[in-house]
Amino acid sequence: MVVSVKQLEKQYGANRALGGVSLDVEPATLFGLLGQNGAGKTTLIKILLGLVAPSAGTASLLGRPVGTFSARREVGYLPEDHRLPEYHTSTSLLDLYGALQGIPRRDRRRRAAELLDMLGLAGREKLRIRGYSKGMKQRLGLAQALLHGPRVLFLDEPTDGVDPVGRKEIRDLLLEERRRGVTVFINSHLLGEVEQLCDRVAILRKGKLMVTGTVSDLTRQKGSWIVGFDRDMPASFGFPGATFEPTETPGRIRVGFEATDAVAAGSAAEADSKEKEAIDRFLEAAGAFGLRVRHLERERATLEDLYLAIAEGGGMP
Amino acid sequence: MSGMQRSAEQGSGADDSARQRAGIVERIVVRPTLPRTFLAMLRDTWREFLDAKVLYLLLLAIAILFGIALTGRIEPQPGGRQYLDIAARAMAADLDGIDIATQSVEDVAGRLNGSLYAITSAEPVDDDLPGGRWRVTMTRNFVPLVGQPESDEEISGRFGRIADGEMWKVAEIRETGSAWARKIGAQTWEMTVAPGRDLRLLWPHRFTLFADGVDLAGTKGAPLGLEVLILQKLLATGLGGTILLLVSVVVTAAFVPNMVRKGTLELLLVRPIPRWQLLVFKYVGALLLVAALLGILVGVVWLITGVIADVWSPGVLLALPSLLVFFALLLSVSVLTGVVTRSVISAMLVTVAYWAILFIAGQMNNVAVESRIREANVGKVRPTSIAERIRGRQPQRVEPLKPGRKPFYRTTLGMITEGVYAGLPHTEDLDNLVDRQLMRDFAVAGPFRALMESAEFSWERGLGLTLLHTVAYLAIACTIFSRRDP
Repeated sequence: MVVSVKQLEKQYGANRALGGVSLDVEPATLFGLLGQNGAGKTTLIKILLGLVAPSAGTASLLGRPVGTFSARREVGYLPEDHRLPEYHTSTSLLDLYGALQGIPRRDRRRRAAELLDMLGLAGREKLRIRGYSKGMKQRLGLAQALLHGPRVLFLDEPTDGVDPVGRKEIRDLLLEERRRGVTVFINSHLLGEVEQLCDRVAILRKGKLMVTGTVSDLTRQKGSWIVGFDRDMPASFGFPGATFEPTETPGRIRVGFEATDAVAAGSAAEADSKEKEAIDRFLEAAGAFGLRVRHLERERATLEDLYLAIAEGGGMP
Repeated sequence: MSGMQRSAEQGSGADDSARQRAGIVERIVVRPTLPRTFLAMLRDTWREFLDAKVLYLLLLAIAILFGIALTGRIEPQPGGRQYLDIAARAMAADLDGIDIATQSVEDVAGRLNGSLYAITSAEPVDDDLPGGRWRVTMTRNFVPLVGQPESDEEISGRFGRIADGEMWKVAEIRETGSAWARKIGAQTWEMTVAPGRDLRLLWPHRFTLFADGVDLAGTKGAPLGLEVLILQKLLATGLGGTILLLVSVVVTAAFVPNMVRKGTLELLLVRPIPRWQLLVFKYVGALLLVAALLGILVGVVWLITGVIADVWSPGVLLALPSLLVFFALLLSVSVLTGVVTRSVISAMLVTVAYWAILFIAGQMNNVAVESRIREANVGKVRPTSIAERIRGRQPQRVEPLKPGRKPFYRTTLGMITEGVYAGLPHTEDLDNLVDRQLMRDFAVAGPFRALMESAEFSWERGLGLTLLHTVAYLAIACTIFSRRDP
């Protein structure tokens, strides 16, 4: 395991930031850590980086206790709301961090030039960070995290303030890092981005780990479809095993079938085909009733649904 | 460590499928070394230092100060006759090995040799200026049988020499008195004397600024040594040093709070180096930079006084270590405050307040020490240094205090002062060390009487206490910094 955390607790005075979190993360994973402000995400990351000592429990990074220099040599970190010293230029800052990381001068220069080029900051080496835009600072923050070729990356809001093209570039960069075997932890409030990028996610709430799993597991079918007909569905129309409810869009209704459990169905593909059969039969019945289909959409539970359900209610939807 | 090692290994916990999926990771496996970390922090500090706009104001202020000093003109005034008289009278005592800046006329009373010497006529050969030669007639009276007649060689060897100092040199000498007069104890010599190497420092000079626009020493002038001393004190340890240290305090006060700021600190703490190194190297880096500035300041002061007064004694260079040790203390206070409060303003204010406390306590302690000395000397003749006597100051008897008045050191305030001062690093004594060296160089004591009389002055203790406090503040700062969660 790249990260192994057991019954981790952290108490700040009377405030319990983490209350017994256990987590294992495999190598070459893009891992999304979600939760509201104050849920304990940053505390968890700081413990893994060795910046903060846990009150109880154990945590190891690449098989070493967190906080040891050998563990720290392997991690790159982009903190939330990071403030890079403004009197530096991009090259002088990377030179400083590289030297503190222990990289010899020639190597850190070469590596800095590569990264600045890769992150679209080349040609601005003379500009002090004071004159940087938010997006540029973010790119430079990423560069310093990647500088020493870490095996684990902890990125807090990595695309914050970056324009859409830049976001895409950063996503590609992270995918490339994963391909090279790097494990990436991402803290983000941009759920769409996490859903798009991450292999696994964990959701924290009030210092507890509420749920963890692969994105596809967590966003499985809901067993419902959005259907639009050429006219309002008459009240006299009915279909056994289906429920109807109105949607925000006039003329469209949500048609729900009982979600078929993949285990009960034998496999995910079988569950899927059972559900498709159900909608086909429903549409045939509607056609027989004289209704013409104008819109059809299969509903999936998004990460946002899951997140909001946990954040508000405290359980799985 | 030579070069970079690359490794394609995976973590010990990685399973095979992950390894295949992952491909090969190019990793940089290097360890920070102490020199590399130090140099990196030094360069970082250097950048931050140069980034401060106030630094350029400082350089401008010092340049203006120096510019003004460079308009100074120092010119000798007539006054050789008094130094001939002094040289003659001084021959009545054996002054070998005494320090004319600190020892009093009374101190050398036991060294009288029973003869009296006087200049009866003196004519300058050229001008009455420090470089000029004089034609002089000198007489000696002694008690026959008790004293012996002195030879020309003996007179040449002693005239104009006080301790290690050399006021005059005898160029030619011829005894002119009769053999009869010699028998009853009177000798007369005709001499031509040339100025010795130390005469210039005692000679009255006018000191003007802005091409005679401002007269600093009056028309009669003051001894050159005193003028140079005051100029060097003003520019190095006085105004110049104070401005430089104040600006350095302002600039460096931002260093630690900027470093421990949320969002910046984490980026440093994740590096595989101990936390104390970040703090200590930042401290040392700032100290080295201020040392460089102080070195420039003190060096330029030395050059300026050399250029305008042609006095090159190196005593003022002692101001560099003295000011630097003092700044090391202030910086440690600033670092500690910065770590605790994380606020630039607090670091600045606390440091300046600490400085003010040191200054006020030091000044008040001087008053207390003086009151002790005064009380101990009531009824005695207050010592007057030979250098002061040369300038015409008469010895005075120390009067007792008016009835009902207590000496300062026995008042409540005086006792509090001495108590507080005992707990502070005695940085006054570092300044005193420089002052005393300047006094020795220029053979003046006047404005620094209390210092000379203070039996408690010890620069070694001042240095020891200052370093002790500095290290203690830094150690506390490092301990807090290492233990606190960011």
